[in-house]
Amino acid sequence: MRLTLAASAFAVSAAAPAGAFAVDYLSIDQAAKLMFPDAETFDTRDVTLDASQLQQLDAQGVKARSAHWSVRVAKRGANTLGFVVFDEVIGKVELISYAVGIATDGSVKQIEILSYRESHGFEVRLPAWRRQFVGKGTGSAIKVGEDIANISGATLSCTHVTDGVRRIVAVVAAARRGGALA
Amino acid sequence: MSIQRWLGGAVSAMALGVLGACGGGGGDAASSASLPTQQTMSAQAQLGERIFSDPSLSASGRQACASCHVETSGHAPDNDLSVQLGGPLLDQQGKRSAPSINYLSFDTAFFFAPDGTPTGGFFWDGRAASLQDQAAQPLLAANEMANPSKADVVDKLSHAAYAEQFKQVFGADIFSRPDDAFDRLTLALQAYQREDTGFRGFTSKYDEFLRGNVTLSDQEMRGLALFNNPAKGNCQACHPSAKAADGSFPLFTDFSYDNLGVPRNTALMQNNDAGFYDLGLCERTDLPNRPDLCGAFKVPSLRNVAIRHVYFHNGRFKTLKDVVTFYVQRDTNPEKWYPLNPDGSVKKFDDLPVQYHANVNTAEVPYNRQPGDTPALTDAEVDDVIAFLQTLTDGFRR
Amino acid sequence: MHAARPSPRKTLLALSLAFIASAASAQTATETELARKLDQLAAELAAVKAQLAQIQKERAAQPAAAPAVAAAPAAPAATSSAAPSQPATVLTSYGEINYNRPTRASENAQADVRRFVLGYQHRFDAKTKVVTELEVEHAVSSADDPGEVEVEQAYVEHQFTPTWAARAGLFLIPAGLLNENHEPTSFYGVERNFVETAIIPSTWREGGVQIVGAFDNGLTVQGGITTSFDLTKWDATSTEGRESPLGSIHQEMALAKARDLAVFGAVNWRGVPGLLLGGSLFTGNATHGQATTQSRVTLWDLHARWTPGRWDLSSVYSRGTISNTAALNATLVGNPTLIPKSFDGWYVQGAYKAWSHEDYALSPFVRWEQFNTARSFDDLGPGLTPEAARTERVVTVGANFQVTPQIVVKADYQRFRENKDLNRVNLGLGWSF
Repeated sequence: MRLTLAASAFAVSAAAPAGAFAVDYLSIDQAAKLMFPDAETFDTRDVTLDASQLQQLDAQGVKARSAHWSVRVAKRGANTLGFVVFDEVIGKVELISYAVGIATDGSVKQIEILSYRESHGFEVRLPAWRRQFVGKGTGSAIKVGEDIANISGATLSCTHVTDGVRRIVAVVAAARRGGALA
Repeated sequence: MSIQRWLGGAVSAMALGVLGACGGGGGDAASSASLPTQQTMSAQAQLGERIFSDPSLSASGRQACASCHVETSGHAPDNDLSVQLGGPLLDQQGKRSAPSINYLSFDTAFFFAPDGTPTGGFFWDGRAASLQDQAAQPLLAANEMANPSKADVVDKLSHAAYAEQFKQVFGADIFSRPDDAFDRLTLALQAYQREDTGFRGFTSKYDEFLRGNVTLSDQEMRGLALFNNPAKGNCQACHPSAKAADGSFPLFTDFSYDNLGVPRNTALMQNNDAGFYDLGLCERTDLPNRPDLCGAFKVPSLRNVAIRHVYFHNGRFKTLKDVVTFYVQRDTNPEKWYPLNPDGSVKKFDDLPVQYHANVNTAEVPYNRQPGDTPALTDAEVDDVIAFLQTLTDGFRR
Repeated sequence: MHAARPSPRKTLLALSLAFIASAASAQTATETELARKLDQLAAELAAVKAQLAQIQKERAAQPAAAPAVAAAPAAPAATSSAAPSQPATVLTSYGEINYNRPTRASENAQADVRRFVLGYQHRFDAKTKVVTELEVEHAVSSADDPGEVEVEQAYVEHQFTPTWAARAGLFLIPAGLLNENHEPTSFYGVERNFVETAIIPSTWREGGVQIVGAFDNGLTVQGGITTSFDLTKWDATSTEGRESPLGSIHQEMALAKARDLAVFGAVNWRGVPGLLLGGSLFTGNATHGQATTQSRVTLWDLHARWTPGRWDLSSVYSRGTISNTAALNATLVGNPTLIPKSFDGWYVQGAYKAWSHEDYALSPFVRWEQFNTARSFDDLGPGLTPEAARTERVVTVGANFQVTPQIVVKADYQRFRENKDLNRVNLGLGWSF
């Protein structure tokens, strides 16, 4: 249990201009464009998972954390190219902002770290570490210590980001099954 | 060399020059650092110096502090009497040997450490709480300077050559207040002992060795190693030999107490009475009901030990060779040190009543032996240790 | 006809027909009026769409105004708590509670609150934070009790560029694998390993300044200037120096002598996921002008860690040297613990996550370590030079059981080659957040 001693007005703005703060690497728009360069538009869809979907996720071993998710659908014309979900997790004590791009077959296309402030574990940003997720879908474990390698000295950051990716993969799959992202 | 370092060096050289005249080593850490010179002693201390050497302050008229505490013998006696003679006719034996009073400015009042170890205090039994406190007692002791009362001492003081000086420092009317005047007298003696570098020179060969200015000879180094080795001499257990982390130089005493079972000294007339025992620490009236302390006496500093003439509280030994050999052969060859009983057995620890024999230290190296065991030090090793002890004499010149 | 519910399509058709009909028939001046209204409606609709998009974007980014308690814990609950908020001040803590039972001397069994650590991190702005840690060892600290209270870390960190950050204050030296990651949840075994306590004196911290560079090829470089050790603290009469040479002379920035400073550097490469290779070097004079000679303490290490799948393999080698020990030891001859010229140690360790279910995980491990805290002494002359110590070898076999990622229960057995009386069984509980 983390005790917040002073809830400040500090808001993590995904629209922060690139490079304004040393630890913010990408905005969500930039990340989305990186993942789907061919997309013309990104339609934002609000997805609310109902109780049965949440239970299903729980049965799969995924803690949904929230019923409400905002998914950007990458579209070129009428074609759906894929989905981008933006999320945040806490590493050890600091927020890590990241985005997951999911292809139409439900597997991870790309992940990008948007901002990272922990003193250790910045290596989650490195292409080599992020590449581990490419192609993984709901059938994969997506777990540190199984199919995702840890970064020595940053176990919590790696684990939380990995758990987050696994969660997003499952949530997007559930949302698509429910027709919310048609 | 940068200007700053050159200037610093020049200043240090000048300071050393000033201090060097009195043999005070300059530039060391805490204990021997900024030693004041004779010329810069306070007025009180200068008075104390004169009082210290003034024989008129005794009943006999011939005994001053300096009579028994001779500077050239480490402020200890320069004769080899087990105990000094005092009283109005200088024919009364003292109870215990007159110790060296060097390096006592680092001593504190008596106290029990958290683990119960008795520590500190002045005299062989620590009964005086300060140098001032201690200075008073020989003046009034019947078998020492034998003044009948404080007023008597003050009266003699008022006729001394420096009486005017005394009045200048302590007040024109001081002699009309004998108790106060006596207090000021002992205060002056304390100030002298604290300020005069002759009482804490740190000018021995060993001090120079600690400063890195000389090397010890091979024999002296062997002696130091035996002194320090907890399995051989183990002397540093009570007589610490190492510089402290704050840079202060070792005093070769931890100001604690030990019971060595020193043999009875028949040269002391008080010992003609078979029922008389000098029980040391437990005899103090402020430490009642402490039979475990009977037989314990203060651990003296070993600085200048080589220029002293008698050793231990009863002056039983006269040479360092005897002392160090006693330490290692007390238990392996007790017959060398103690008288024999009628039945041929050794009357060990004959200077203590039987019920206090258990107080004698038999647990620590080198006392932890049995008759027939090999002593902790061989004869040659004893000589090595003595060679090392000789490096502790102040006034070393390269 | 039944009063059926109008279907959307039918309603739309009806509306359209009505609209067209009215549009066709009313070719009046109201046509332009309607056209204008249409444009207005279209504009408003566009504005509403834009607003909606904006709100959705903000909602995705902004943390909900959830109460402080619901700020996402590390293992988020499966209820509708919102995305984690960023607190400015965060309390951190870790604790170790250990039980040791020597197998040959059970009278020496001991239970201890080995460490209780409280710390905080406060973030001043996106680039600057302060990190502090306060430690209590052995539960009760007073003049009569065995515990100690110490400030373990107290430094400010500022990120100048995405690559370079700087730290100033009291911080951990980046040496080995354990020193910077010393929480009970990050190492295997109840007690910290000997190489990284006796040779590298974890938890080793010095005060000074440090630059940290984190490069995109996975390389992290660190370097800085800090306080150094204090050789004048060496106590030749106690065994502390034999247990850990540097542990007995570290200053912990407590009225530390600071005439002599040290420099250090560390390089760590994590370019391949799951692999860490690195090394460090620390060197500084340690006599501060208070001894007869100047003497330098140097400590370096090489370390590697590889975590393929469920395996966790690691190894550390470290060596320390002290110069001019002959001059420093000359005045200490005969004492039991003189200053060694060199000391070193290494270990290899392997752990495997044998079983896991949700957050639970059981990881048995084996560690083999060898170390010598007095590998060599400078010559002091015949009969005076101490003998080198015998190299100790410790084998540790046990398991970590993870209750949650931040709580661990540990058990192990340690076997000593030289000091067999130290063979012991250990149990431990640790947490960290």
